[in-house]
Amino acid sequence: MARKILCVAEKPAIARAVATHMSGGSFQTHSVRGNQYVKNYEFEFNFGAPWGSCSVTMTSVIGHLTGLDFERQYRGWQSCPPGALFEAPVKEEVDEKKMPIAENIRNQARYSKALFIWTDCDREGEHIGTEVRTQAMSGNARIEVRRAKFSNTERAHVLRAAREPITLDEFQANAVAARIELDLRIGAAFTRLQTLQLQQVAEILKEKVISYGSCQFPTLGFVVDRYLRVQNFKPETFWGIKVMLQREGIKVNFLWRRVHLFDRAAVTMMLERCLSAKQAKVTKVNQKPKSKWRPLPLTTVDLQMMGSRYLRMDSQKVMKVAEALYTKGFISYPRTETDQFDKAIDLKKLVEKQYPDGRWGQYARELLDGKFRTPRSGRHNDQAHPPIHPVSWVNPSQLNSDEKKVYEFVARRFLACCSEDAKGQGTDIEIQYGEEMFHASGLIVLERNYLDVYVYDKWESSQNLPNFEKGERFEPTEANIFEGKTTAPGYLTEPELIGLMDANGIGTDATMAEHIAKIKEREYVVVNERGSGRSKVSELIPTKLGTALVEGYDNVVADLPNSISLSKPFLRKEMELRMLEICAGSKTRQEVVQQSLDMYREVFIHTQRRIAMLKTACRKYLVPE
Amino acid sequence: MASAEQIAAQIQNKKSLAVSSTWLNNFLSTSGSAQRNIPASAIINTAIFRVLASDFRESLSTTPASLLPVDIHDPNVQERRLVGPIPVQVLDIEDIGTSLWSQVEAIERVERGEAVRGREIVRTVNVGDDNEGENGQSSSNFAGNTSGSRGAGPHRLILQDAAGTKTVGIEMQAIEDLSIEKVPIGGKILLHNATVARGMVLLDPQCVSLLGGKIDALNGPWKENRKAWLLQRVSQVQNE
Repeated sequence: MARKILCVAEKPAIARAVATHMSGGSFQTHSVRGNQYVKNYEFEFNFGAPWGSCSVTMTSVIGHLTGLDFERQYRGWQSCPPGALFEAPVKEEVDEKKMPIAENIRNQARYSKALFIWTDCDREGEHIGTEVRTQAMSGNARIEVRRAKFSNTERAHVLRAAREPITLDEFQANAVAARIELDLRIGAAFTRLQTLQLQQVAEILKEKVISYGSCQFPTLGFVVDRYLRVQNFKPETFWGIKVMLQREGIKVNFLWRRVHLFDRAAVTMMLERCLSAKQAKVTKVNQKPKSKWRPLPLTTVDLQMMGSRYLRMDSQKVMKVAEALYTKGFISYPRTETDQFDKAIDLKKLVEKQYPDGRWGQYARELLDGKFRTPRSGRHNDQAHPPIHPVSWVNPSQLNSDEKKVYEFVARRFLACCSEDAKGQGTDIEIQYGEEMFHASGLIVLERNYLDVYVYDKWESSQNLPNFEKGERFEPTEANIFEGKTTAPGYLTEPELIGLMDANGIGTDATMAEHIAKIKEREYVVVNERGSGRSKVSELIPTKLGTALVEGYDNVVADLPNSISLSKPFLRKEMELRMLEICAGSKTRQEVVQQSLDMYREVFIHTQRRIAMLKTACRKYLVPE
Repeated sequence: MASAEQIAAQIQNKKSLAVSSTWLNNFLSTSGSAQRNIPASAIINTAIFRVLASDFRESLSTTPASLLPVDIHDPNVQERRLVGPIPVQVLDIEDIGTSLWSQVEAIERVERGEAVRGREIVRTVNVGDDNEGENGQSSSNFAGNTSGSRGAGPHRLILQDAAGTKTVGIEMQAIEDLSIEKVPIGGKILLHNATVARGMVLLDPQCVSLLGGKIDALNGPWKENRKAWLLQRVSQVQNE
């Protein structure tokens, strides 16, 4: 009998897609006892040397197989002081619901020569891979373990991954193990502490679990920070000078270099000195080509930001839809930080695949007829996945309406990346009037290029400017003072929040959407829709509880110079950086867990000592007077 | 050993300041320099340091040419010139290019420890507008909220001469090292050939020499009270 190889993917849909490609479409499906989603697909496949032709069982897990939890005696809310959870023994166990899946892997491994791990190629995927390995080896200690490296489920790519397996990345798996342990200990310790303490404070908290998460809280912190800035904002009047010249039937408005000042008397004096100079002098006439750059290759963060901005979906939704498109083989893996295409990717072939499309097929054709440009390269490369791009064309009738939108965005973005920048001619005119400088600028868009396909960007010609010559003098038609008021920033929107999390190192691109969803689910934040139609914005507003928690934690550390509030991103950011060190092999899992626990334990001790401050803040917002 | 005349001449020479004999005698008697064998240059440096740390009303001798006109604040005078040189001290400095509120926010960021390296929080991101090549400065109406525009200016100063006359100065052209961070209260400035318009001295690099110095008794409280003062001003302008 031929050798047998066991393949295990991260999700049933991936198992099916990979099985379809490897088997050429003919495989036998067997159900797995105890789980209705996971199936075993059996077929023959020639792996090439050294394995040759083998019989294959392709199956899957559903995400993580195991969970980490405290030993039983520490699980009750009152079982130990919350602080003890920083040290309490923990153990990794297969989730009850996942037992049949684990058993299936053990059984299948028994008869297999080798295990090929087909979990997603990212940190979580490496860790899930180790969980699968553990099960397989407990069924068959001598099984050989390999890992398939793939970033989309397009046929040729899958076949190559099957024939060129690599090994699991233990560093990445360890980083996830560290993260899981830290999230458990820190999350449980603070959640128990604050829940037990705060439940007593207000009637509405009595039955509530007030959960803490080291990503959720800084995420909440951003929302509260912006909310308070909007609430506290005080508008102020400013004054400025505007100069207008009517020439060749065109009103040219010159803008003041100082923009505006907050001192009326000074502005009045400055205007008077302009007027008494009578004539303005043209000091600069600059004609220069301007361009609007084609976008960078698409990353997860960008997809989420753009998605919630242009596609009217929240980031979690966008990711879900993108995930579905990936599983069906239409786009590449949607969790990536990479914004540069590898030279080995045949981009033109990917462009060609878009020919059949009724909306941008013609554009794709024109690209390959000579307009193709090598995409710009960004500065990020996660060394695991290419930027998000379409891997095959799909007839829109096969997609639901959300999938259509996301696929269209990914396809248009990809074509835009492979296009020429938009080109224009810019004119800048600078004048000196008295001692003050003013400027006017104009733009003529000459070639739209990528803008034709990337409908999400706007760049339009301005009004035409009349001719000016350097050194010429003229008397402005009007010069006036204008008055205005500063305006408060807007409440935080989801794309902004993703941007802030990214910029401040909170969460990974893959988990940001989850953290945002979490703080909504926990009722720390609500979404407020403002405006209607195209100008509709979804703003994130903290609830009273959300505001109280942030204020409380800020107060806890307010006068401790070296302590950092849990509502601020730094502690989590440091933890994320340490994860990267594990991935790079420069720190061990144990070192990182200890260091990070020490860091959070310090805040925990402060919080415990000054719990009254947390309570006061909750009382202030949640207890009716 | 430097004589009183030599010291006065050196201060005049190096800083264009005419110290009064009362101040000079007081300096010589308190510095104890007469007894010991201290090099002249050291004494002169000490004297310069002391005069820059002094209140000009107590340390300088005055002539009409070294003083501001007493009616300098008269807004009816469109323009006049001060030949000088006129030594003045800074009693207040404000950034009129930045809203009071955003200055308050900036102070609060420092109070929260966010000015420390590595502890900065990014608070604004541009969503999707990052790809304009050669873009003209987008003059947003959003000004006053821009974070961290430190020492943007222009600055408005309150200046005082040796006779105690006060005037407003406006920084018409950017002057290097003129900022809230770098010019303490009691800092000394020399004005020469300055223009006065509508009661405001027009400050630019040609007519301003920053001499340095500060008055500790004024600078400390000014710094401490700055946030409270800004907040008070903010609530005043709300009612205007």
